[in-house]
Amino acid sequence: MDHFARLGLPAALDLDAAALDRAYFALQRQWHPDRFVSRPPEERAKASAEAASLNEAYRTLKDPLRRAFYMAELSGVEMPGDGKTIDDPELLMEAMEAREALHEAGSPEAVDALAAEARQGVQKALSGLPSLFLANDRAAIRKALLRLRYLEKFAEEARARRMNIERSNA
Amino acid sequence: MAYSEKLIDHYENPRNIGSFDKAAEDVGTGLVGAPACGDVMKLQIKVGADGLIEDAKFKTFGCGSAIASSSLVTEWVKGKTIDEAEAIKNTDIARHLALPPVKIHCSVLAEDAIKAAIADYRAKATKKAE
Repeated sequence: MDHFARLGLPAALDLDAAALDRAYFALQRQWHPDRFVSRPPEERAKASAEAASLNEAYRTLKDPLRRAFYMAELSGVEMPGDGKTIDDPELLMEAMEAREALHEAGSPEAVDALAAEARQGVQKALSGLPSLFLANDRAAIRKALLRLRYLEKFAEEARARRMNIERSNA
Repeated sequence: MAYSEKLIDHYENPRNIGSFDKAAEDVGTGLVGAPACGDVMKLQIKVGADGLIEDAKFKTFGCGSAIASSSLVTEWVKGKTIDEAEAIKNTDIARHLALPPVKIHCSVLAEDAIKAAIADYRAKATKKAE
């Protein structure tokens, strides 16, 4: 069962966040271990397995980025795994330049400005995804997700850079 | 996990950081990335008239093992022909730096980067010959 089916929701990128929460909390109550304490062991085991799958489904679908990666997986888009390299010059040049700019940013404000730019990039890439999924354009979905992965990494590095700057200013 | 002295040395004192003009005819540029960990690596070679790699530079944003792998490759390729440089294997890099198994992919990135730089140089040379 995929994560959407588990939560009884339509498999869509633009998931209604409130509906997701409602579905999750209702099912979480249904499979809560407290309700199974006096049940036979196999039922207890099933409830705990269901609760774990449910949490995994919720974690994946709640975050727009993880949801997009998951949707891609369901659509058969192959993403490079560990140890696989890519040589897309446009995307890599963009990632390289962003990281260079971050490396040179000397103040928290400068880092924040770059992080804000990256967040816009994330929004732009996410907003372009639904039409790509509709067209089932796997190559374009893959490229957008690769960009998102680099933007995600950039956000992580920006947080680290900001902390370093603040620590050295303290 | 203990890292080897060679790895730590390349990480703390990376050799040949920098860039060449990527439009120059005698320069080959390889730009590769490992999306799973968000690493990006640029490796450039400068080839002399005698066909030997006279200089190499790199710029890597990634973990210590990725930086050390690219630093090592820039050292190794200097003075080599491009055919010799092309023969560098990720396993040689991993062995020299004693990379732990979870970091082997960093040496793959460095091998792919030098191969891409050579391919870029060859493409330019072919174009020039035409």
